[in-house]
Amino acid sequence: MNPFIKVSGLSYQYDDVEESNNKAPILNNVSLEINEGEFVAVLGHNGSGKSTFAKLLNMILIPTEGEILINGKNICDPDMTDDDVLELRKNIGMVFQNPDNQLVATIVEDDVAFGPENLGIAPDEIRKRVDDALRDVGMSEYAHHEPHRLSGGQKQRVAIAGIMAMMPRCIIFDESTAMLDPMGRKEVMNSIVRLNREKNITVIMITHYMEEAAMADRIVVIDDGRIILDGTPFDVFEEEELLKSCGLNVPQSTALVHLLQNDGLNIDGKCVGLEECADAIAALILKEV
Amino acid sequence: MKSIALGQYYPSNSILHRIDPRIKIILAILYIVCSFLCKNIISYAVLALSAVILILISKIPLKIIFGGLKAVLFVLIFTSLINIFWTTGEYLLLDWLFIHIYLEGIYAAIFMVIRITALIIGTSVFMTYTTTPIDLTDSIEDLLSPLKKLHVPVHEFAMMMTIALRFIPTLVEETDKIMTAQKARGVDFSSGSLVSRAKALIPVLIPLFVSAFNRASDLATAMECRCYHGGDGRTRMKVRHIRFVDFIPLFIILILGTSLVVLNILGIGFTM
Amino acid sequence: MSEIVLENVSFYHGKDTPYEIKALKNINLTIPSGKITGLIGHTGSGKSTLVQMFNGLLTPAEGRVLINGEDIWKEPKKIRNVRFRVGLVMQYPEYQLFEETIYKDIAFGPRNMRISEDEIDERVIQAAEFVGLERELLDKSPFDLSGGQKRRAAIAGIIAMRPEILVLDEPAAGLDPRGRDSIFANITEYQKKSGSTVVIVSHSMEDMAKLCDNLVVMAAGEILMSGDRATVFSEPDKLTAVGLDVPQITQLMNLLAKRGVPLAKGVYTVEQAYEFIKNNLR
Repeated sequence: MNPFIKVSGLSYQYDDVEESNNKAPILNNVSLEINEGEFVAVLGHNGSGKSTFAKLLNMILIPTEGEILINGKNICDPDMTDDDVLELRKNIGMVFQNPDNQLVATIVEDDVAFGPENLGIAPDEIRKRVDDALRDVGMSEYAHHEPHRLSGGQKQRVAIAGIMAMMPRCIIFDESTAMLDPMGRKEVMNSIVRLNREKNITVIMITHYMEEAAMADRIVVIDDGRIILDGTPFDVFEEEELLKSCGLNVPQSTALVHLLQNDGLNIDGKCVGLEECADAIAALILKEV
Repeated sequence: MKSIALGQYYPSNSILHRIDPRIKIILAILYIVCSFLCKNIISYAVLALSAVILILISKIPLKIIFGGLKAVLFVLIFTSLINIFWTTGEYLLLDWLFIHIYLEGIYAAIFMVIRITALIIGTSVFMTYTTTPIDLTDSIEDLLSPLKKLHVPVHEFAMMMTIALRFIPTLVEETDKIMTAQKARGVDFSSGSLVSRAKALIPVLIPLFVSAFNRASDLATAMECRCYHGGDGRTRMKVRHIRFVDFIPLFIILILGTSLVVLNILGIGFTM
Repeated sequence: MSEIVLENVSFYHGKDTPYEIKALKNINLTIPSGKITGLIGHTGSGKSTLVQMFNGLLTPAEGRVLINGEDIWKEPKKIRNVRFRVGLVMQYPEYQLFEETIYKDIAFGPRNMRISEDEIDERVIQAAEFVGLERELLDKSPFDLSGGQKRRAAIAGIIAMRPEILVLDEPAAGLDPRGRDSIFANITEYQKKSGSTVVIVSHSMEDMAKLCDNLVVMAAGEILMSGDRATVFSEPDKLTAVGLDVPQITQLMNLLAKRGVPLAKGVYTVEQAYEFIKNNLR
């Protein structure tokens, strides 16, 4: 089976090198494959190039070099028609950082309808999609509210519903939880995980929260425009020193496990989550006693 | 700052709220025409009566209606005074020093007050109080859609209006935040000379503009990601169908207009 | 000595409108002098309203706000002076930058205090140093800086007013782990060197546990808990009930306790947890 997204030798550099302080390319020879239904977290510090990567995937930016195949179709092909671009953006939705700056309409359900309306879908079908999408993110009771009266987490869920209503196969979250409080972050993370598990939507989640990245199936770490790590959360968090050297961190529970392992203690299992770590450490302490 | 009301929409379920918004815009225009058809006491009385009836069936509290009129109170008083003191006629009521007040002046003032009040009540009851701003925008787009054939960017214009309506509360909130932040740095917005107060606005306006431009650019990207490509090939989730009952108010207002004209021709009562 | 005391303070949003909300309900609170106090609460708990009481941006509907025992509203006309004594860094402060250069922007607050140019210069240089902004950045336009640098410049703009009390509302919001750590390191360093009173508002329990000597938890316009870290984090149920959490590492310790390991009290950082486990293994 072909991968859903196949990126090879991707580089990106600002056109006007004079203007940007940084002459180094934003992305440098990035190659990556993502399968349908995967939940991939992309980690990197601010300015590492991770957001640029996301914007290349749905043609908001055009790569300087390299090739992106989505579902086998080369989207860097200059022959892409306007309809091809629409088809691509319909399939690869994007949710951004600032919840205020992506809602268009003054009523929640009208906003969710915006995408399907642009696609020229029949009114009855739009109605059905809007209701389904709002239900999927748990915002049905807010259908007639004004977006500016919602909390940050609720706004972000409306934004997700707006993408869902286009029936995409993949959603990219570009630091979608960065401006939210812990409660809002939890709400949005729950929605993201559900979309992936229940609707089999491919999720690419750009973040710098380690606890969120730990919930993904796979973590890709980008630093200075290159992929430096790619693997399961456990494998990636094993490289604590490398992560720290590029301005990142590991979850507190993992940091503790590593401290204990450095002392030569044998901690079993590939523990990433809190419960797993607790199991492993408890086993260790109770065995010794 | 979550209490900002968009426009003056008053939620209720009156007959007026339920009329198709496109019809309501036409009704408002016809009502304005009617108010200019009035020529004599009886027709003005009919106009005043119609305004009262409109308020009653709209179920909007009088407090809100008067609140809306307060904004034009100055205009009302000013035009009345001009009419009272400067209109000349046959029936002199008061002649004292340089002040001459004629009966015609009194009538002119009363007529003017009725006309302006009816104009405001008519347009606000038909449109702003009973129709949400977004319905108004959509209806204006619908009504003007024949102009699309002449390449008038009707859809783009309506889209701009929608986005403006969506972002007004956000920007008001943002202005408030920036003002608070600058006050914390010692800016004084409420005292000093006019020049120094105007200067105090610079630290608010610059960040506000920068942020508005950033928001606009973010929003443009987000809209592109949601497949926005102008009005061509776009559908709407909410399609409005004009029902037969929607035409009834049109007939009523046409009857009102005709009767006003008839009253003018008959010339009953004091005529201006 | 720079202590803030609130006595029976109440405040309403949208007073006398249908939307009236009592944002603060009879708050009695002391922010101790010369320490870092953490103010925790989720959005809408009233914490942002509370910090605007400290420097007189909002006027209490009832009650008094005292700084060093003196009512700040004794002479309402002089309230501006209170804003120089209690420096408030608002959320996302980079949105308030407006001058042509970083230098001028940092100098804006001190200039409003009408002090001499020499003193302004000295304060700007020192404030920039406190937040770790290099000299050569001072002549740049704020709009040429990275997000993290803008944040630092905005904080320097408040520090340059040399407030006795520095209040920061979510100073690290939206920054990556390295940015967060270095901003907090700068703040701790500043507090040590200047000996001033610092209040930090944050959602991050992990950061608060690392930084603050004293914690205040707000919920629904009231003080839910206040005291040292041990007192506040010892009642995780009370915190989760209002939508807050204890630090992840403390959660882990509680999970261990459920599995039969003796309960670890007073563990809020990875290092403490490590010590605790080592001691239990011996």
